[in-house]
This record gives sequence, C-alpha cells and structure tokens, in this order.
Amino acid sequence: MSLETIEFTVAGDGRSVSLSRRAHCGVVGSGDLEVLLEPKTADAAVSVRIVTPVKGFDALWKRVVEHFVAETGLSGLSIDINDNNASPAIVALRLRQALAEAQG
Amino acid sequence: MPNWNRLQTNSFLECSARDRAVGLVDEGSFVELGGPFDRLVSPHLVALGEAVENDDGIVTGVGRIGARPVFVISQEGRFIGGSVGEVGGAKMVGIIDMAIDFNDRLVAEFPDLPPSARPLVAISFETGGVRLHEANAGLLAHAEVMDALQRARHKVPVVALIGSRIGCFGGMGFVAAATDAIVMSEFGRLGLTGPEVIEQEMGKDEFDASNRALVYRTTGGRHKYVMGDANFLVDDTVAAFRAQLADLCALPVSSFEAMRRIGSPELVEKQLRGVALAAELKPSDARDVWRHAGNNDPVGLADGPLADFRKSVRRLAL
Amino acid sequence: MKTEQRWDKLAADTRQRLEAASAYIGAGKRVKAEDTVALLKAVIRSGDRVNIEGNNQKQADFLADCLNKVDPAEIHDLHMVQSCVPLASHLDMFERGIAKKLDFAFGGPQAGRVAKFIREGKIQLGAIHTYLELFGRYFLDLTPRVSLICAYEADREGNLYTGFNTEDTPVIVEATKFRQGIVIAQVNKIVDKLPRVDIPADWVDAVVESPKPFFIEPLFTRDPGLVTDNHILLGMLALKGIYAEYKVKRINHGIGFLTSAIELILPTYGAELGLKGEVCTHMVLNPHPTMIPAIEDGWVDTIHCFGGELGMEDYVKARSDIFFTGPDGSLRSNRAFAQTAGHYALDMFIGGTLQIDEWGNSSTATANRVSGFGGAPNMGCDAKGRRHATESWLKCGQEVPHMADQIGAMPRGKRLVVQGAETFGEGRAPTFVEKLDAWQLAENAGLDLPPVMIYGDDVTHIVTEEGVAYLNRAPDMATRMAAIRAAAGYTEVGLKADPAETRRLRDANIFKTPEDLGIDRNRANRDLLAARSMRDLVDISGGLYNPPARFRNW
Repeated sequence: MSLETIEFTVAGDGRSVSLSRRAHCGVVGSGDLEVLLEPKTADAAVSVRIVTPVKGFDALWKRVVEHFVAETGLSGLSIDINDNNASPAIVALRLRQALAEAQG
Repeated sequence: MPNWNRLQTNSFLECSARDRAVGLVDEGSFVELGGPFDRLVSPHLVALGEAVENDDGIVTGVGRIGARPVFVISQEGRFIGGSVGEVGGAKMVGIIDMAIDFNDRLVAEFPDLPPSARPLVAISFETGGVRLHEANAGLLAHAEVMDALQRARHKVPVVALIGSRIGCFGGMGFVAAATDAIVMSEFGRLGLTGPEVIEQEMGKDEFDASNRALVYRTTGGRHKYVMGDANFLVDDTVAAFRAQLADLCALPVSSFEAMRRIGSPELVEKQLRGVALAAELKPSDARDVWRHAGNNDPVGLADGPLADFRKSVRRLAL
Repeated sequence: MKTEQRWDKLAADTRQRLEAASAYIGAGKRVKAEDTVALLKAVIRSGDRVNIEGNNQKQADFLADCLNKVDPAEIHDLHMVQSCVPLASHLDMFERGIAKKLDFAFGGPQAGRVAKFIREGKIQLGAIHTYLELFGRYFLDLTPRVSLICAYEADREGNLYTGFNTEDTPVIVEATKFRQGIVIAQVNKIVDKLPRVDIPADWVDAVVESPKPFFIEPLFTRDPGLVTDNHILLGMLALKGIYAEYKVKRINHGIGFLTSAIELILPTYGAELGLKGEVCTHMVLNPHPTMIPAIEDGWVDTIHCFGGELGMEDYVKARSDIFFTGPDGSLRSNRAFAQTAGHYALDMFIGGTLQIDEWGNSSTATANRVSGFGGAPNMGCDAKGRRHATESWLKCGQEVPHMADQIGAMPRGKRLVVQGAETFGEGRAPTFVEKLDAWQLAENAGLDLPPVMIYGDDVTHIVTEEGVAYLNRAPDMATRMAAIRAAAGYTEVGLKADPAETRRLRDANIFKTPEDLGIDRNRANRDLLAARSMRDLVDISGGLYNPPARFRNW
C-alpha cells in the first residue's frame, strides 16, 4: 500500500515548441487527475513524473505522454501529474487543457 | 486562470474550488497562496497509498472586492469529498491569521480606515468534514480553524458561502455555524451529521439518505433560509454569490453580530427557544416547521422558482 | 368407426380452472388480496407456461410474490415466458422449484443470479430474446397459459387502465386471452370510473387490488449534473460527424449518458450547426427528461414511447402534439408498437456499449451476468424487410462499397447503427477488446451462442473520443478492422493501429478525428448543455416535469 511514482523522460522531436509560462489544470477527483506543466531551462527533454495509487500501467502512461509530446512538439518542460485512476482519454484531455492554459 | 467574465454567469454549483476563488473577488485580483506549485500534499495520504493533490483540496489566497482585501478559502469537493485534513486545515488557519494580522497592522497604521477597506474572510465550503484517513490530525485541524475564527471575532468578518455539490457537513458544519454570516443557494446543504451517517446510525425508516428530496428539504438552502441558519439565499451563479459578498463588504464588523447564530448569551437563548419549539411541535418533517412559520403551502413553495420563494416565504421567528 | 375428436380442450380446461377459482372471484372479477395465493393455486397447473408482466419499468410485483407462496409440491416446473426478470421474486421461484424453464428478453438487476442458476441447473434456459422476438413467439410457440399483469386502475366491471405505463400489457393479454388463456391483473386501485379503458373487462378474468402500488423504476432519467466533458465531446462528434452528415430525422436514443449529452446539446451546438428541423424530428423513445430542452425549443415533431417515465406524466399530457396520448390526455405507451417502429421506421439507432471486438461486434454481456437484450438489437440492426426510402437511409447504403457483391447494381439503403463509447469505461476497463466477455459467459452459462447485442455487420459507425469510424465506408474486413483500431485509442486493440494506415483512412474519410471534423475539443464542456441540472429541466418544462424524490436536489 503505497503511492506509485512513475518517472521518465521523453526526447522532443526537435520542433522545440517551448512553454512561456507554467500552468495547472484539473482536480484529483475519482477517475481524474491534475497536471502541472513547468518550463525548464536545463535541457530540451520533457521530464515526466506521475504519482498514482494504481500500479501496473507504466507502459500505458508512457504511450499517452509520448503521444502528447509528439502531437504538440513540446520540449524543455516538466510534466507533473497527480492521478486518481484516470482513463487515458481523460489524461490526454487534461494534458491538452493544461497546454491551452499555458498558451492562453 | 479561468476567464473571469465567463465565470460570473457560471453555475456556482458546477464551479471548481479554484474557479469559485477567482470569481468571487474582483477581476484579476485573486492571488493564490500555497497553490499547486508549492506542492503541499498530505503526508498521511502518501503513507496510506491514497491519491494526493498538490493543494490538498483547499484553495487559499487573497483578492479584492472594491477597496476591501478579501482573504479566500475555497474547498474542492471532488478531492476526497472536500475532507479537511492536517495540511488543508493549516492552510485555512494560515489565511485567517493572515487576515487578522493584516487587519491589526492596517488599523494600527490607519485608524480611520473605513470598514469597507478592512480585511474580510470568505470561505466557500464544500466538505463532508474531517478527513477520516488523517484521524486525530484531521480533528485537530478543525479545532484549530475554530480557534482562528475566535481570534477573528470583532476584528475580521468571516462569511460562509455554501452552494457546492457536497454541501457543508460534519465538523465543517460546526465551523460554518461559527462564522459571522452564511450565504447559500438552494443547492447548498448545511448540516452537522451527514445524511448517510444519520441513515447508518438511525436506520432507513428514520432517514432515507437516497431520498434526495428528503435530504434537501432537511438540509438544503431553502430550508436553512426558513430556519434562519442561512442569512441569505441567492441564485446559483458565481455573480449572485459575489454580489451578496460585495454587499457584505460594505459593512463594518460590528454589523455582523446580528447575523450570527452563536457567540452571545442572547444567541444561546434564541437557540434554546428553537429547542423548546422542536419539543413542542414534534415535527415529523421539515414541512411541519415551514407550516409553523406561516407557510400554508410548503410543498408548492419548495417546488416553485426561487424568485417566487424569496418573495413569499415566511421565515421562522424565534 | 371414427372417434369424435375434441377441438375445444383448451377452452374446457380454462372453464374448469376458473370454476375451481370461482370461490375467490367476486363481482366485477374482484379477488381479495388475501385470496390471491389460493386463486393462483386454482388456476395454475404444473408445467404451465406463465407470464409475469414486468419489463424494465413497471412490475406485477404483488402477483409475483404470491406465486412464490404456492407449494412447490403442488405447482412446479412452470415455464416462465416474460420480458424481464428484474425482481428477486422472479428468480426465487426457480430457487424454490416452482418454475423450471425460462424464456425472456432482459435480466436487469438479477442478471448475476440468472447466470448462476443456469449454471447450477436451477434454470433451464429456453432462449434469450429481443422484445419483438419474444412477443412474436407469444403468438406462435410460447403462448402463456396464465398471465399475471399489472395496471394502475380497474373499474367495477374489471376494465383496466394501464395509462402512462401501458408498455407490454396489450401484447401479453392479446396472446393469452385469445388462445383461451387466463389473465389476472393486479391494480393499484379499484375505482368507479376509469380515465380511459386500455384493456376491456372481458379480456380479464380476475382483478386484485394490490396492498401497495406496483414497483416502477425511473430507468430513463439521467441527471444532467452527471454529464461529463467527454460525454459532450462524443455528443459533438456524433452530431457533426453523423447527424449532420446524414441528416438523420428518425432516431432512437439508447439510455446512456452519451445520448443524454446529445439531447442536451441539440438546442446549443445542434442549433449552431443549423440542424433544427433537419435531425431528430421523429423519435421512438421513452419520455426522456433530458429531451425537454430540445422539445421546448421546437426540435421534435413526434415521439412514440415504449413505456413511461416517472415524473414526466404532466409534461407529456401538456405536449400532446408531440406524444401519443389517449382521450383522457395521458400518454399511451406500447412496447410492441414502439419496437415495431424501432425496427422498421427508424433511420438510426445510437447507443452505448460495454465492449466492442476487433470486427465491430458489440456486447454488454459480462462473464457472469446474463443481462439479455431488451429491445436494442431490433433497433440496432438493418431491417431486411424495409422497403421505404429516406435520404439518410439511402446515403448510408450508397456508401457501402461492397453492396454490389450481394445484389449487383440494385440500389439499397442501410440503417445507421451507431455505437458510442469512451475507449475505457469504469475502472479503466477497455471498451475495445480482442475477445468479448460474451464468449466466456456463453461458456459459463452453457449458452448456445455468445450473446452479442449488435453484430459487426450491422454497426455502421463507432464514435469514441478519438473520432468517428465510418465502418459503412470500409471496402473490406481489413479496412474495417483498421478503422476500429483507429477509434480504439490506447486500448490494446488501439495500440495495434498503424499511424500510416490511420492517415490513409482519414484521407479516405473512413476515419475522422475531432480536428478533421472541425471540432474544437476545448468547447466540449458543460457550458454547452442546455440544462445542467434536474432543476433546470423542471424550470425549462415550466414546472410540468416532476422528478422522483431521489433526483431532486433542492
């Protein structure tokens, strides 16, 4: 009984779309999550950290976030997620919303 | 940040804690303190393997309404039922104390400062009370919030706003009762013991928690307004809550005394008259009390549009 | 010498049974509630085919309880032929040995016990049907000998008022009574004058005033407060990608939140797309409360109902231009006729599902629950006997590339059958699966066939948050499966999608993403709903909608 922390980095595809400011989106309700996006200057990679009570979905998380990064061309930021059993569809939705918030 | 103008017409019931915090004060004035980027998660939840949130389910910050600094606390019902634990409780206390300190400094420096420019605390409740996962730490957090409200007495008015999904129950029901003024919508609910707990303790025949109509006519905004537990009953929009809060912002702290439920010998006597009335009336349903207050058609009154209700309702005189 | 053949044995047997029961049947066919068990003992024989009225809404619950009180030593091996078995009492009679065989359409809350009893041999399963299929068999090889039905009121002669919730009663009574069977009704009240006569007294043999009103479930009420952003996104995709694309006027909506979301964005997003008068004008549908905003906004011409819905009585009465109502003003629902309209007269069925396989077969079965079919398969299929044409039916058919393989150059339309679901359901269970749980259920419960709700060849469109798959446009099974993979998101099935192939499908308009359809995902939020709460529905109905207590939050 402990929280699972999943950490990985995604290399950008070289398009180097960077964030101008940080953004927060979502509530950790049942089947939902919160996303924090923060620009970082150290390197161009996207560092990802997911905290979740659900084990065994590491590969799925990776697919969803990789797809988001590929779709948006983002680089040089950290993505921090607190999850409470959100479906991949909700994860993708919140990531998009957080990005819209950061760009809005 | 959500679009402030669009927020105003939004349903208060539907708003997240952060949307309420932003929309209740003047456009662009809300500054969040202890926000998600400060990552104040509950260590208890981490230890239990439960999902955490970076604001621990409570948004705190400060904004303005006109010249008045408004210190805002806003609870998020979607995160563990809006339950208040150690971190969330500390955030509440921190903001109330900050309002008191600021008030003290302002008054010392500018003794002639008008009331409408002195700090006020607004709490948007959405909570079932103590976060059971945190046991005594959660209970202690409630006591500390109560204590902070006592420190604010006669200095900083504290206004409760109740119109969110979870309502305001448990220990936080006591906290709300100890504020200076309560603003509700018809969708707001206020009580001490939550409906499910009553059913569990007293049986389904006594109180059927799945009967939402029963739950609302016992704890909902319209009933609380008849009973005098709520001072104001507003429409379910952010703008309506904000407008009521802005009206209250014009008042000096002394004007809030008359709106309180507890806190003076006179108010204790008034509460006792309520107890005596209950013993005499032996109501089997909230409607009996409505009728006693002079409402001949409680069912029609409860079902009609809110504007009609406000126009024709008779409130209980104690 | 020729022995004389008797040709009225059924009638004679019925006479004999009713004589045995005559002590309990008083004036106006009235039977006292306390005599009901004795009455049932007198008229029912072991091995009889018996129908207990009950669908997913109203229930002849008192009569079901009474039948459970007969001694299984006296009455046993009954063959239950009935729409649904949602009450515990429906299954208790198998447990007690009163009943043996079951032919039905829908399991509801007892679905788990149905599966268990079949496995344990307590239920000998005839078949799981659709409603129309079962009703059809009532008139052929599954005619009830005794039917226990349910009505609101009876008068002093025994005429029945089934009113708002007429539902299955006419078809059961017709099949039973006109084959010399026995019809027993439970009613909430016996009155001097009925609002209208739905079942004439001479089709009824006995009437019992039930000690309490029959149980009825508000199954079609969806609280707008529970519609999520994703439901709304799917609703937008369906409206723009399908309703607008095919100009579908004649529709049935399933009961999930996706269709509630569609109903609630008709007056907002639908209006923006210019669809008013172009779609959803004729519907076969229970009186869904979430239809109120669209009805009030003038979208709908006609609604025919399978059954009623608690709380909608006054609203329907006040909108008789839209609904089918009787001379007394109240709704006349009728499941058999609504299902007939649903099978033959609709251009589109849209509903949710639990699972879709790689070929597009879809099922709501889980491994340990025999939930049955209800009416969905009759609407979620291409009615092969249909001969009239509409624009949307023709367009959907014209798009089928392989139609010529079957009928050469002959043009033919096709019903739109749309399955909408998020790629993952409750508890992150994937909607798209390699093998339906229906296979496991068939094995567990010893069924002849995996219970498939809608077969892949009938599904024309799939809507998920990934986009719309236009399966009717796929030239072959390989393309069809690729389109399903494209819709399947991050499920195991979806992860097999080849991005290059998905790109080709998008270019060929066989798969469209929200972006392809020009849908801004950020607009998919609750601001788009024409009503966001039960209270809104009441207010929009002008106070005519009266939601059941459990849905009231004021």
